[in-house]
Amino acid sequence: MEWLNPYHLQVASFMLINAILGVSIYVTLSTGQLSLGNAGFMSIGAYTAALLSTQHQLPIPVGILAGSLLAGAAGILVGIPSLRLSGVYLAIATLGFGEVLRAVLINWESLTGGAVGIAAIPQMGRVILAGARDRGFTPESLGLQSNQFISLTVFLILLAGTLLTVAFFLRLSRSRVGRAYAAIRLDEGAAAAAGIPITYYKVLAFSQGALLSGFAGALFAHSTSFVSPGDFTYHRAVEILVFAVFGGSEHIFGPVFGAAFLTVVPEALRAISEYRYILYGILLVLMMVFRPQGVIDPALLRRFRRSGKGTPA
Amino acid sequence: MFLEQLINGITLGSIYAIVALGYTLVFGVLDIINMAHGEIFMIGAFVGMLIMSKAGAPLPVAFLGAIVVTAAMGLLLERFALRPLRGRPGASHLASLISTIGVSILLENVAHKIFGSGNHLFETPFAEISFTIGPVTVYLVQVVILLISLLLMAGLSLWLARTRAGKALRAAAENLETAGLLGVDTNRMITITVVIASAMGGVAGVLVGMAFNYINNQIGLSMGLKGLAIIIFGGMGSVYGAMAGGLILGLSETFVVAYGSSGYRDAIAFVAIIVILLIKPQGLFGQAPAEAKR
Repeated sequence: MEWLNPYHLQVASFMLINAILGVSIYVTLSTGQLSLGNAGFMSIGAYTAALLSTQHQLPIPVGILAGSLLAGAAGILVGIPSLRLSGVYLAIATLGFGEVLRAVLINWESLTGGAVGIAAIPQMGRVILAGARDRGFTPESLGLQSNQFISLTVFLILLAGTLLTVAFFLRLSRSRVGRAYAAIRLDEGAAAAAGIPITYYKVLAFSQGALLSGFAGALFAHSTSFVSPGDFTYHRAVEILVFAVFGGSEHIFGPVFGAAFLTVVPEALRAISEYRYILYGILLVLMMVFRPQGVIDPALLRRFRRSGKGTPA
Repeated sequence: MFLEQLINGITLGSIYAIVALGYTLVFGVLDIINMAHGEIFMIGAFVGMLIMSKAGAPLPVAFLGAIVVTAAMGLLLERFALRPLRGRPGASHLASLISTIGVSILLENVAHKIFGSGNHLFETPFAEISFTIGPVTVYLVQVVILLISLLLMAGLSLWLARTRAGKALRAAAENLETAGLLGVDTNRMITITVVIASAMGGVAGVLVGMAFNYINNQIGLSMGLKGLAIIIFGGMGSVYGAMAGGLILGLSETFVVAYGSSGYRDAIAFVAIIVILLIKPQGLFGQAPAEAKR
């Protein structure tokens, strides 16, 4: 059980949170809209969950639910004015939204703790371990140390959350709603002419993305047990964008792959980590020039599937 | 007090207007938002700082240096991040937005590697000189900023209205394809536009350094955001909208800080975006509704 050390599990946990964030921007991109506010929505989820559990002693799942819903509601409020117009308006409005939200988090010290942030947020793994201990369970009975058990629990909860998210949006992409998203991305005018209420679907997709960001933020708060405004800067928003642009924004596996790859590689190669954002910048330009759809696109996935089954489709 | 705040507001507003003009020129011709403009502006401010505060050269040299460096960056930006995306079949309108975001994050972090993230003092040799007219104290720096911005705005307006190149640019802004058919070298026009917009960003960078006395590698984002808010407010692609919007934002920020609270000064721009999108989405001076444009 040596390989199951808390460090590996923590990297894996961040990978899963990033995967959910990658999906959150993918959902908005799947209607051809670019959101730069996902770091802001993430902070809404994280701070809501953190405050409910530290100041009001509410159970963790309630905080996660409330944080996600609040972020989704904020998405509707920002989305309605900016999504009636073309895509660039949303990009600018969400960029502004993220920065203003961060200013609020820093200035509203009585509630948010200002620039210092909120510490001692209940950590999911520890809470579950304490609960299990009360019922007479010890991690040693599974051959695990306490910190291994804690990290493993967090990882499994995040894995469940990620799988649920991916499954939901995979189903969605084959539904009426998903086809409406695809139609709007390909040609807004034609979609509108075909009777699809484009503003409704654009706001829906955008607030789904905001809700997911809030969900990821709440999970982040209860995994690291510490949040501060520095976690939710413009850099974070661009990082989330890079996950989808590098991995691919035409299929849900794209952002998941992008998040996983771009989380693990800088951890494995420390020298890269220092120049991470410089490389992200170069990566964004190169991807747009040479492969705008990202590494993984539906054609690539079809090829994999075909060679796997051995039947030409 | 009121008059002094008015002068402060107009000074700040004229800088905002210059920043916003850089965005609006590129949007007018290319229909894209150049997200890297804020960072090009930040590089201009640093070049000005190096020339004036570190090397001790006079102000005109600082402006010249900033213009040369930022114009060159505009050229590189157009060549490597915008031109390869142009005219590709099926290219989404998000592509250029994303590639310029890439350039912006690249420049910000290169500046971070070179200059660190702290504030750098921007020393203007005549910063302390002021004179009093009646009850009002005016700083020479403010007069210089105002004069340069007015000259720049007047020059740009004249160039757009009276010269052959300005006419070609307006034709390209109206409709790129038609302008091309009528003999305008659109690739050259686009390059000129991006270079001029970037050079204006360089000038604005030096002006901001003079006005605030310090610069850091994050001013690109904060000033860029204000420039973007102004062009939404004034109408995307509208030159006069950018000027008026800049003045309005500068004045309202100054008065909110003077008579209200300073913590949320930067929020005013965002509130302006949301309000204008709800009430008059095409902006104060915008002509066609943005929906009809594409």
